[in-house]
Amino acid sequence: MFNKVLIANRGEIAVRIWRACQELGIKTVAVYSKADAGSRVTQLADEAICIGPPPAGRSYLNVPALIGAAQMTGADALHPGYGFLSEEPDFAEICAENQITFIGPSPDVMSRVGDKTLAKKAMKASGVPLVPGTEDTVDSLDDADDIAKQLGYPIILKAVAGGGGRGISVVEKREDLARIYASTRATAQQLFKDGRVYMEKFIPLFRHTEVQILCDNYGRGIHLGERDCSVQRRRQKLIEEAPSIHFTEAQRQKMCDTAVAGALAAGYTSAGTVEFILAPDGNFYFMEINARIQVEHPVSEAITGVDLIKEQIKLAAGEPLQYTQKDIQLRGHAFECRINAEDPDRDFEPDKRGKIDSFISPGGPGTRVDSYVHSGWTVPPFYDSLVAKIIVWAEDRPSAIDRMLRALKETTLDGIHTTIPFHRRVFNHPVFREGDVFTDFVARHLTTPSG
Amino acid sequence: MEPKSTERIDQVVKETKDLLSKLEGTSVRRLCVEAGDFKIEIERAVAEGAAVAAAAPVAGAPAAAGPVARDTRHVMLAPLVGTFYRAPNAGAKPFVDVGERVQRGQPVGIIEAMKLMNEVVADATGVVVEILVENAQSVQFDQPLLVIDTAA
Repeated sequence: MFNKVLIANRGEIAVRIWRACQELGIKTVAVYSKADAGSRVTQLADEAICIGPPPAGRSYLNVPALIGAAQMTGADALHPGYGFLSEEPDFAEICAENQITFIGPSPDVMSRVGDKTLAKKAMKASGVPLVPGTEDTVDSLDDADDIAKQLGYPIILKAVAGGGGRGISVVEKREDLARIYASTRATAQQLFKDGRVYMEKFIPLFRHTEVQILCDNYGRGIHLGERDCSVQRRRQKLIEEAPSIHFTEAQRQKMCDTAVAGALAAGYTSAGTVEFILAPDGNFYFMEINARIQVEHPVSEAITGVDLIKEQIKLAAGEPLQYTQKDIQLRGHAFECRINAEDPDRDFEPDKRGKIDSFISPGGPGTRVDSYVHSGWTVPPFYDSLVAKIIVWAEDRPSAIDRMLRALKETTLDGIHTTIPFHRRVFNHPVFREGDVFTDFVARHLTTPSG
Repeated sequence: MEPKSTERIDQVVKETKDLLSKLEGTSVRRLCVEAGDFKIEIERAVAEGAAVAAAAPVAGAPAAAGPVARDTRHVMLAPLVGTFYRAPNAGAKPFVDVGERVQRGQPVGIIEAMKLMNEVVADATGVVVEILVENAQSVQFDQPLLVIDTAA
């Protein structure tokens, strides 16, 4: 096991990692930018090292500063948390070169799953379903017409060289195909000097579903069930729950087993998440692998009783998985609300005041709060606006909804705008309470504040 | 509380005020007042963000670094995390020693980070009155490295 872990992150996840290390008897080093001086993790950790000025590029993304901090404190492992350098294969490699164990997958695996095309190929090879479409480019209108007929409209045309949402067009019906096919190719040629396109079935409405996995260095892997993260705003998750209520036990097993098999085939190690699109017809399709611990990991912890960060650390230290799939029993229902310093009534604009006058955390049965703030703390404007996560667990979904509403009511967080009023609206909304939520839920049902 | 000790405290407070007024122009970083047997400790800030107390002048420092000139003490902070070296290589003469004059922009040390040697240059002109880190010592970002008396 490690002697000392450097926590290469900030905010609530830094505190979460400290907790896991503390329980495992591992010493900790916190690193901080000038904007985070005196933050919670710097008070809790055995040592705290200032690594740079407020901008992340010069502090939390500053590789020489992080390696230097690990060397000066004698840390033998580094936990990257999420965001920042958590999915940078180059950083993981530099850690290895400096005899620091990066707590996550190997650089090779990270590169492989980070490349979407490679990840899809690996997944497909092990039988993980992908969104139906062509692997090769569609080079004539006749071919396009035939393939679109097979796939069924709507379809989506994607430029081979495209990315970041550019070079993509949706075709709703056959009459539009000739025109849009021609224009997409022309645009792609102009933008990327490559007019080739491929075609996929377009799934406009879906539920974001993801499977939590744990894989050791010896080719063994398990899943810890799935999470539904469909309550999003501009692809930012706001509420997560586990398990998803849209699966039969057989379907769940199929998706989760598929996720583990695909990840193991790609050589995956450590904790990770396999993301899927769950279509309204019940079919699921692979989206991507996240090679890190995720913000929403606590809902999986709540329904399985497994401490994912501790397991992640143990796996990185070379320990074999101590659980078999049979040991993992999903129990009850859990929700997580992300409390961000944003104003939900002003299009989730980040709060500019920043200073928390008063923070009283909720408690009581089945209630967990992962946070790093306290009364008087000023949320630095340089990083993400997450200030706390409220996680509740109860025997069933309706009781968990009641419990979350109680916990939200119990929370005092004054001085800044937060997403708490938004969460109240969601948990009181009949569509959400019924559970029939797709990724368009926020835009469709909650665009205007309820006064 | 007995009247006698209240008087005592009043006296201490008055003394402290007098002392503070004499130190006008410098900022107080820590103030310790004790009534029993009369103890007053005043610690003044040397510069923004500096973690050092106003220590006695280092042996060999010129007289100008004495109490009167403390206002002009400029504390140079580490611009990055790494290992601080006072000389360009082992056995070489240090870039700068206490008592020597430096120009803004003049190299005063090296900070090694991931085998890259980063030159550290003086960010003020004056006389080096203190060097606060050892050779080959690890430093954090913004850690005080040396004190330059800008008036000397």
